[in-house]
Amino acid sequence: MATLNIMVGQEQGNVPVTVLRVEGDIDAASHKTLQDRASELIDGGATNILLDLGGVNYMGSAGFRALHAIANKLSGDDASGLSKSPHLKLLNPTDAVARVIKTLGFDVYLDIFQDKNEAVNSF
Amino acid sequence: MNAEQAFDLSVKASLENLQEIRNYIDQAGARLGVSESALGDLRLVVDEAVTNVILHGYGDLDGIVEIHMAGDGDAVIIRIRDQAKTFDASDISKPLLDTALKDRPFGGMGIFLIRKMTDEAEFLPLPGGGNEIRLVKRGAIPPRAQ
Repeated sequence: MATLNIMVGQEQGNVPVTVLRVEGDIDAASHKTLQDRASELIDGGATNILLDLGGVNYMGSAGFRALHAIANKLSGDDASGLSKSPHLKLLNPTDAVARVIKTLGFDVYLDIFQDKNEAVNSF
Repeated sequence: MNAEQAFDLSVKASLENLQEIRNYIDQAGARLGVSESALGDLRLVVDEAVTNVILHGYGDLDGIVEIHMAGDGDAVIIRIRDQAKTFDASDISKPLLDTALKDRPFGGMGIFLIRKMTDEAEFLPLPGGGNEIRLVKRGAIPPRAQ
């Protein structure tokens, strides 16, 4: 079974940013681990999340349902139109994951960065 | 002639076995000489198809998923069989890719990816009960590997 490791860190840019470094495959068996961890952090006061996907070799649609749920929970009632989420951003997806992000159109909703400092300071 | 080889896997229909199924696709794909990008697509579509069988076909019931993967020229053909209730993929609506994320329904992405990343995707009821998902991806095996 896929094991998902999630390391949580805090960075200070223009605003506090919670960084989740995810390692493992995000599939239908493991996506709840990510969703639940992010949900706990949001309930604990996290308002901006940078998801570091550099250690994720595989992410299927279940992973995208988790991203969808996290983005919605962070946005609360202030989501509008087709604009990108100001509160959830992605860092360093592998080529395989980046391809699925684009196929599913999630690059329209979520900013994707290769550089961590640039990502943190974009919030 | 690696492209004539065929590989079979039979596993319990459980989300816990998705990793093993992806590993099987990787190993069979390597033996068939499937390109890295095509292998990534096949790993994804099989994972999505089997996830649907487990969650929507068998539901809470125990069952088996059988996967057959073979090369045919430059194409890879994959058959996924189950004994679950008939699953009609046409009932699944496409995800609304041009709709705000907050307003997008959660489902439909798996079937969308399966259709997008294969050249043929058929969902067939088997005569004796159960279903077969037949997937074809062309241009998956570069000429030197055939």
